[in-house]
Amino acid sequence: MASSSGNDDDLTIPRAAINKMIKETLPNVRVANDARELVVNCCTEFIHLISSEANEICNKSDKKTISPEHVINALESLGFASYITEVKDVLQECKTVALKRRKASSRLENLGIPEEELLRQQQELFAKARQQQAELAQQEWLQMQQAAQQAQMAAASASMTQQASSSQDEDDEDDM
Amino acid sequence: MSQTNSGKQSQASEAKKAISLPISRVRLIMKSSPDVSSINQDALFLTTKATELFVQHLALTSFNNRSQTQANTLDYSDLAKTAEESDTFHFLTDILPKKILAQDYLKSLEQMQDEDSDF
Repeated sequence: MASSSGNDDDLTIPRAAINKMIKETLPNVRVANDARELVVNCCTEFIHLISSEANEICNKSDKKTISPEHVINALESLGFASYITEVKDVLQECKTVALKRRKASSRLENLGIPEEELLRQQQELFAKARQQQAELAQQEWLQMQQAAQQAQMAAASASMTQQASSSQDEDDEDDM
Repeated sequence: MSQTNSGKQSQASEAKKAISLPISRVRLIMKSSPDVSSINQDALFLTTKATELFVQHLALTSFNNRSQTQANTLDYSDLAKTAEESDTFHFLTDILPKKILAQDYLKSLEQMQDEDSDF
């Protein structure tokens, strides 16, 4: 349905949808073609009007996304408060439909396993993974410690050997 | 969330009696407004429904105020008249081409002809 040519300003609601709504609102009324075209363009203008106002309200509220509240306030301030009740009802209906869908799809995916059981299994797996991680880390730490100790011992014995040989030299010097 | 975009679209069509305008098109138009970045899905539903109510409101108001009260028709001029006279719909005058009255046009024509004859 996306247009391949034209700029953003050519975007309008499809003519057929508008015609249908006009027919339902004014049955048996003959509507001129240029009048229908005008209604299509008025829709776009209305959407821009609401969007701009809602966007301004959104900016003032420190939020980044235009919320339902912003749209409702926009309708109010632009003189379309009479739409608000009906518009809110539709929202409630859409949410109910969405909720039903989610419940239905989650029932399918679970294949009979209740959600609490799935959660429990998940926690078990996490705990196991954490334990394995901890054991690995501890092994590494022990190895490091051992390596460090060995290095220390080697360094210590090396320096003792050095000291022994250097003190011998001093005695030799005194004898000269 | 397991919902995809098409999932959201068909959930709106399940509530078919609730919304009849295409929500995706409304979103496109909203986003073509300058500075508008992101729109919450519920806010989109609200705007779409409000647009539907607007069409009904405009059609009804224009029809009730039509100049040809005896005829059962709705003309372009009825819509233009509503935009001019109503506070709520006045924002629509932006997209209505300015109409010049015939008599004013004739007068300005005459003036131009008089100026020509002076030379």
